[in-house]
Amino acid sequence: MITKIEEFRKKQKITQEELANAVGVTRQTIISLEQGRYNPSLQLAYVITKKLKAKRIEDIFLFD
Amino acid sequence: MIGKPDWFQRRKYGGWGIVPKTWQGWVYIAIFMLIMFGIQLIPIINSWIRLILSGIVGIILIADIFHIMANIKKDEREKIHEAIAERNALWAIIFVLCVGIAYQISVALVKAEPYNIDPVIIIAVFAALIVKAITNIYLDKKD
Repeated sequence: MITKIEEFRKKQKITQEELANAVGVTRQTIISLEQGRYNPSLQLAYVITKKLKAKRIEDIFLFD
Repeated sequence: MIGKPDWFQRRKYGGWGIVPKTWQGWVYIAIFMLIMFGIQLIPIINSWIRLILSGIVGIILIADIFHIMANIKKDEREKIHEAIAERNALWAIIFVLCVGIAYQISVALVKAEPYNIDPVIIIAVFAALIVKAITNIYLDKKD
């Protein structure tokens, strides 16, 4: 899975740690998501999308 | 309970249980160790009282550790990792137990003796089987 978490996070000027705390995961999980190594649950994808102020989950998470 | 889950993290690389994550976790362990050693060093109490006190402190510590382990916060990725690691560990245990049973049967056959399989091995395998079945029944009903 390709994600645009890093891009949206930098637009919002929030760190990995801040995003991790905001969505209730560890920083390591955010790193894995940004690197496309971990496929999140729908619930986590939704929460991250909301936190990064994207309109749709597909704006952040791209299934290849 | 006494300890807080935020003070600890699950042990990932050196067995099972918890390891301190914050200074409060280390203080928690130090206090329990001091109490345990203190009970052994008090000269005025007899050995029975010492044993009972040690047992009480030990039970409190074990119960508290179980409580901490059950309440340590894990995100979904950590839960998946833990589940896979525990499953693999269980497979290793079951493999070794089955090899143990096969070895004991083989030895009995070679020596033309009656089977002398350690009942603990059989009980352990059946306990795992029952727990697996119960877990699957629970999970099927849950979602």
